[in-house]
Amino acid sequence: MSRVNYRFQDKFDLPTFLIATALTFLGLLAIYSATRSTVAEHSNYIKQAISWGVAFVIFVVVVALPIRWLRVVAWPSYALTLIGLVLVLFIGKVTGGQKCWIHLGPLSVQPSEFAKFSTVLVLATFLSRHQTDIDNMKDISVTLLLGMLPVGLIMLEPDLGSSFVFFGILLAMLYWRGVSSFGLFFVLSPGVVAISALFGTTYLIIVLVLSAVLLIFFRKDIFLSGSIFAVNLSAGFFVDNVYNILSPHQKKRIATFVDPDSDPLGAGYNSLQARIAIGSGGFWGKGFLSGNQTQLHFIPAQWTDFIFCVIGEEFGFIGSSVVVVLYIVMFIRILKVALMVKDEFYSLVIIGILSIYVGHFIINLGMAIGLLPVIGIPLPFVSYGGTSLILNMLMLAVVLNIYRSLRDFS
Amino acid sequence: MKAFSGEGYRRTFVYFIIMILGAVYGLRLFQLQIVQHSEYDEKSAENSVKPIEDIPLRGVFYDRNMKLLVENTPTYTIRIVPAEYDTTKNSLLEQICGVPEGTVRSLLQKNKQFSRFVPLKVKRGVDFKAVGWVEENSSQLPGVSYIIEMQRGYLDSVMASHVYGYTKEISPKQLEDDDYYAPGDLIGYNGIERKYEQVLRGVKGYKYVVVDARRREVHNFKQLKNIPSVKGEDLVLGFDANAQKTAEKELRGKIGAVVAIEPSTGEIIAMASSPTYDLNEFSYFTPKEYIQQLYTDPAKPLFNRATMAAHPPGSTFKVLCAMTALEEGVINESTTLHCGGSFTFGRSFKCHGAHGAINVVSAIEHSCNVFFYQLIFKIGLDRLKTYAEKFGLGKKTGIDIMEEARGLIPSTQYYEKIYGKNWPQGILVSLGIGQGEVSLTPLQLASYCGLIANNGKSYKPHVVKGYLDEKKQYHPFPFEPINTGISQKTFDIVKRGMFLVVNGGGTATNIKRSDIMFAGKTGTAQNPHGKDHSIFMGFAPFDNPKIAVAVLVENAGFGATWAAPIAQKVMLAYLLKGQPVQGVTVANPAPNQED
Repeated sequence: MSRVNYRFQDKFDLPTFLIATALTFLGLLAIYSATRSTVAEHSNYIKQAISWGVAFVIFVVVVALPIRWLRVVAWPSYALTLIGLVLVLFIGKVTGGQKCWIHLGPLSVQPSEFAKFSTVLVLATFLSRHQTDIDNMKDISVTLLLGMLPVGLIMLEPDLGSSFVFFGILLAMLYWRGVSSFGLFFVLSPGVVAISALFGTTYLIIVLVLSAVLLIFFRKDIFLSGSIFAVNLSAGFFVDNVYNILSPHQKKRIATFVDPDSDPLGAGYNSLQARIAIGSGGFWGKGFLSGNQTQLHFIPAQWTDFIFCVIGEEFGFIGSSVVVVLYIVMFIRILKVALMVKDEFYSLVIIGILSIYVGHFIINLGMAIGLLPVIGIPLPFVSYGGTSLILNMLMLAVVLNIYRSLRDFS
Repeated sequence: MKAFSGEGYRRTFVYFIIMILGAVYGLRLFQLQIVQHSEYDEKSAENSVKPIEDIPLRGVFYDRNMKLLVENTPTYTIRIVPAEYDTTKNSLLEQICGVPEGTVRSLLQKNKQFSRFVPLKVKRGVDFKAVGWVEENSSQLPGVSYIIEMQRGYLDSVMASHVYGYTKEISPKQLEDDDYYAPGDLIGYNGIERKYEQVLRGVKGYKYVVVDARRREVHNFKQLKNIPSVKGEDLVLGFDANAQKTAEKELRGKIGAVVAIEPSTGEIIAMASSPTYDLNEFSYFTPKEYIQQLYTDPAKPLFNRATMAAHPPGSTFKVLCAMTALEEGVINESTTLHCGGSFTFGRSFKCHGAHGAINVVSAIEHSCNVFFYQLIFKIGLDRLKTYAEKFGLGKKTGIDIMEEARGLIPSTQYYEKIYGKNWPQGILVSLGIGQGEVSLTPLQLASYCGLIANNGKSYKPHVVKGYLDEKKQYHPFPFEPINTGISQKTFDIVKRGMFLVVNGGGTATNIKRSDIMFAGKTGTAQNPHGKDHSIFMGFAPFDNPKIAVAVLVENAGFGATWAAPIAQKVMLAYLLKGQPVQGVTVANPAPNQED
């Protein structure tokens, strides 16, 4: 194996890095625009730039690290994040009705952000074991347990958006590992039942009947089918209890999504203002620093979760399309890396990371453009937030590290 | 390497999912930003641009000598911005404003659902001391401020409440009729304020401001130019402040009215009605108790007696009978009729004395009833009515303040309606001396007297004569001319009679003066409900009349006793331009106690 022939781009996926950098830069512009006339947040763009500097150092280090460290840190980091998630419930700082920050001296970190990454590592480790049988209900259940344990803790904060992302991680990694349709059904059905329960009893009954029909169709052991149906049933009725854990503003957001007209001035207000911002941007946008929705703060905290509205309003269809295209290209490139890598562990890690990015993208953008309920979750690389930016860069570094180290095997 | 179990199509499926995701979100953006762009753009503009009305200054009133009668004066209103206000200061603020405890709390409670950046008015019309206090202690009173709003200011000495009228918050019905107004706007409710509303109100301006999500004003909106408001037109009244002041002063404590008119133009020089009310109470916000008190007062202070109180004109009507007879050739200057002290028509009608053979001039001078009892039969009802109409009697004068009574000049049809086809001719006897069904308002009486003074030519009576434009240039309003078509000779005859009423041996010699020649006619309106009403009409100076006055004092008896001296004082105030009256009234101290 000679290294002489390799060119730089064979060792480093420059386009992907540039896309992430471009998104960060757009994010800085949008953060500046959204915060320049605020009292407490007007220097956020500087903080974000500093965070990016830190993130870049970490990025370089992680890309350069020997590849094997990933397997080594998987279990310890998972254990650490679980501890962090428990700690945050006791010493966490409440922001916007949620307890998701831990303050370590001058640093504030969100354990839930790290939990996503460490869960990916642990799931990849578990699923890539020789003895793991993906069609074995026991192994699927262990996978579910590993994936849902952090979710349980995060729901107590509560952070609805992150919980959805975990669900996506599980689904994507199981799928990538080659879970059977029945296994997929086993994983998916409780979630679908739970969501349908939010829409009312009629929907719940329809979905339950549907799941029963599918169970009969799969022709599995009657005991297994029965217990899966029981899980679905309890998920449906359990959703009420979960719903009660949610903070009032999250309940309202879900209620607004289920029935958008239920509260036009309350939770629906943010969604409407977001759509007005993006829609009024038109083709060319209103120009940098000229969006009145943005400059007059019609959308709350838009340097974080609603950052896309700033781009949509001030840079128009052109700007927002560029953002969407950048993400899609980045996702495809990451997916290609996953396909290139022949080692199952690394491939699964990349798919896990991709599912985190895609999950955030779907929920955040879907919320901004009014396709999904208002659920607080940052847009990767673009939204203001140090923890999130550093973690996204770290994960990108992992992807590029694998790209650098394992292209040899292609 | 262990091959993993994902089959080929599964990988392709992930690829497709990502592409479909991009397509769905891209299409949604296309829908929002291209297809529905204009709709959201409009919403965005509505969100942030708010037009703020700039209420123009209302036009002010000047008198005929350009003395300011009604002006705009600033009033202070204390306001709080809930978002910045500290509720621990409630009782302090209530004390300063002089409002009852709990006012601020309930004000905040009531407006809870509105933006916390919209200021709330705690108290209007606070005194300057309170404003000064707020100013000095602003650091301890966050969110407390005051604004200056305009209200009407009146002279201390002149308050023609019934003529000026007042403004009031616009009613829902008025809002429907005219889209110029917005809820909460003030609109002229009566008097000049109402009649000239369109002239006085000016044109509203608009200031476009950009507000943020909490309706807080951020800055001016540069894309739309502010539209400045246009001040209302200033009105010039026919009023003379001195005459008006005197009229109001003389009526104080009495029930009655004074109307003074310029004979050559029809301009109202003074118009007062008593009892009256305090316009200051209506200038911004009227206390309910005050309104209640005005409505329940038996003397009806809100009732404008000058234009609304129609009473029998008494002997002042004799002049009209005389003119009719002279014009129709029924009598001439030297025709004499016999007065034996009473007149019998079915029953006996009395005179003040036995005047013997008396001509028309003397009959007016002495107010001889018997002369006119006989005359009315010679004229006949229809001819009298024709001449009454030439003077505008029995119908509204059309004066430019809203409320007015028409009075009554009976006709044949009228009597037939009341008394039947064979109505008793005896009724005419009373009509000849201005009693019975006939009635005139003080305004009609003044107008009638003015026409006599100016030999039958004048203009429709009016309070406002013109306006000042922005450059303070005066523009007169046009008014309809009146011409009675009665001959100069007739006027000369009756005016000589009216001259003698004051300066001869007549019924109002108590107001005779050596410096200014007055002429007039007294009257007493028989009042079936109580004491008779005292009436006087007169003009001066006799050779070149500048002012004609009608005075009504209710329940006061003979015209000469109460009404004539008031008329004299008003005319003097006008003719001497408010200078203190020199010399004394050279008078027969006890004029004939006749009407």
